[in-house]
Amino acid sequence: MGVSGQRWAVEQVFALARRPSIIAGATAAAVPVLWTSLGCDDRAVWGRYRGSSAEPYDVVADHVEVATRCTCPSRVAPCKHALALLLLWARGQVPQSAIGGSAAAWIDSRRSAAVATPTPAPSPAPSTADAPTPPDPPEPSSRDDRVARMAAGLAELDRWLDDRLRTGLTDPALARYSTWDDLAARLVDAQAGGLANRVRRLAGAVGSAPEWHRHVLAEMGVLHLIARAGGRLRELPPGLGDSVAMAAGWQVRQADVLAGVPETDTWLVLGRSDTREDRIEVRRMWIRGERRGRWAMLLSFAAYRQSLDDSVEVGTRFPADLYRYPGTHALRAILGLRHGAPEPAVHPPGASLTEACAAVGSVVADEPWIEHLAFTVSAAPARLGGRWVLADRSGSLPMVASPAELATLLACSGGTPVVITCEWTPSGVRPLTVHLPDRTVDIGPRADPSFVSGGWSVAS
Amino acid sequence: VSTGTVAEYWEELLTVGLLGTDRRELPSPPEGALADLAADEPRPSPSSRLLQQVAACTAARRAGVLPGPSATVIDPPPPDHRPVTPPEATATWRRIVADWPVLEDEWLLTVTANGWRVSAELIAPLLGRHRTDGVRRARALVAAGPLAQWVADHQPALQGGNGARPDPDAVAALPDLPISPDLLPLVLAPPAESAKVLGARADGEDFARSDLGVLVNLVARMRADALPAVAARLEACVAHSASIGLAHTVADLARLRHRMLTELERR
Repeated sequence: MGVSGQRWAVEQVFALARRPSIIAGATAAAVPVLWTSLGCDDRAVWGRYRGSSAEPYDVVADHVEVATRCTCPSRVAPCKHALALLLLWARGQVPQSAIGGSAAAWIDSRRSAAVATPTPAPSPAPSTADAPTPPDPPEPSSRDDRVARMAAGLAELDRWLDDRLRTGLTDPALARYSTWDDLAARLVDAQAGGLANRVRRLAGAVGSAPEWHRHVLAEMGVLHLIARAGGRLRELPPGLGDSVAMAAGWQVRQADVLAGVPETDTWLVLGRSDTREDRIEVRRMWIRGERRGRWAMLLSFAAYRQSLDDSVEVGTRFPADLYRYPGTHALRAILGLRHGAPEPAVHPPGASLTEACAAVGSVVADEPWIEHLAFTVSAAPARLGGRWVLADRSGSLPMVASPAELATLLACSGGTPVVITCEWTPSGVRPLTVHLPDRTVDIGPRADPSFVSGGWSVAS
Repeated sequence: VSTGTVAEYWEELLTVGLLGTDRRELPSPPEGALADLAADEPRPSPSSRLLQQVAACTAARRAGVLPGPSATVIDPPPPDHRPVTPPEATATWRRIVADWPVLEDEWLLTVTANGWRVSAELIAPLLGRHRTDGVRRARALVAAGPLAQWVADHQPALQGGNGARPDPDAVAALPDLPISPDLLPLVLAPPAESAKVLGARADGEDFARSDLGVLVNLVARMRADALPAVAARLEACVAHSASIGLAHTVADLARLRHRMLTELERR
């Protein structure tokens, strides 16, 4: 057996979808009242879906050696019913029970086939770049198989990019979502869910702004970098290899991260940024150790009507153990044991824009595919050439912010320099937090309250 | 490779990228790291050479990020020497607009009357909420002071609707709310009497869900010193009363209004 039956995260279920429309269909079908005979064990999840047809569909999913079966007429695999079943299971809405009937027969047949044919190795749970970790440790043969599959997918990505640049960005095919979506689906098949997400985001950027081609061409270059580096993982130094693999979508198990040596510090919660990526809301919490000054990023995810993690609050500090994912700069992390209650954070010092650029540059030079980095500067909002920038004596950096975020930054600063935590992105810097002498104002982009549960929102 | 050279080369790459290597020749990279890369790792086709150069150029440009030209700092807003509302009041405003918007007019007027000014982080949400309501927008501008007008001047999205000047009396006055004649005496009644009457009617299942509107209006306009007693009495409504849900809802409003007024008491 490849991996054990730990429950998946919702993002892992979505990563199996061949098309976004299937996610929408699966979400609508993932309602317990539409299902009977639901059950799961450490290998499979099964149930009967009462759809519009006369007979219910028998659905079963092998969540260990990822495979699904459904009696519906759809030729897409996995179909929306299989994804809906996995969604219910991921949300904890499927009871544990003993497998029987046709589900048991199907699982038995898969076991028999696996015994008779030991290779190719089972494929572990699907993944997205930033998604929570997959269930369980793949055995070496499984890992080798996955590396090979990913390498093949990356080679295909590189060929695709090559073809696109031959015909140019003005090729009408590039404006069709299916052009990108087919590639993304193949990357999901190749276990490169992280790149699939990146490709889908890029599809949305085509034609979205007057200068869209600048961003799209640069991102195609970054995809090429990951594809080339991902094909040579074994030749790369360990830290860089880990960074490349994670950028491509390779999952590191949370258990492995938590098995590492913790970094104990008092953590300042300096910024929060929510962004929608495809059908998932992603929250990045930026924290920095008071003693060592190292940044870390805590990620959380929410599908429709789920809640984002709000266990850490901007403007607070708390002592805790932190476990970092592998990588050259190892920004992504998980909080471990907390050694005290949160308390209001002290007013952090702000660097100059030159110092912030130097810090960003040193990280991006090592990992050019990085899309977000945080820094805290002392600067003022200002106008330059018709757009808003952050400015200090050393110069200016263009800002990307919504009118409401910008207005709050203006109000809090009054046009004078203030300490601001920002998120660097390739398109500009996004202000997340204004640190005033007496309080902290969280102005970062907030998840749409009609999409996620919890949190407050004021129309603006 | 100098920054200027990379920037110029990037513009050339963009042109080729837009047209495609089938139609446009690839420019030669500038001397330095980009040219060395092209020489060290020669690629078989123009498109793959373009991809290589785009990747290297993007990495160089992103890693070499530097502050851009200096920008002129904008003129600050005129000073406002009123103290800023306490953080609890900011949190209460958020609760009000989420749950009990009937209290927002009074919140703004109390801020102004008691010599406070609205905390800076509320200016954008306030102006955004009242973009099209001239009276409330004017009330918000008074409560938030010159900083609010300054923010609106810099953010067209927050500027007002039709530009008409609202009636100053309407801006300064708490709007009337309809209250049924049988409840009207409780607006000015002593605390004990208000609590007794409302409690008895709640116990006696005299209130239906449809009465919520008038009860809300009553509590939003009754004497401030009656609020704690009314809230306590409604929370003590007999458990089997059909009005218990309504009683607790109205008690919540009374508690919130009392908290709001306490937080904004004159210093």
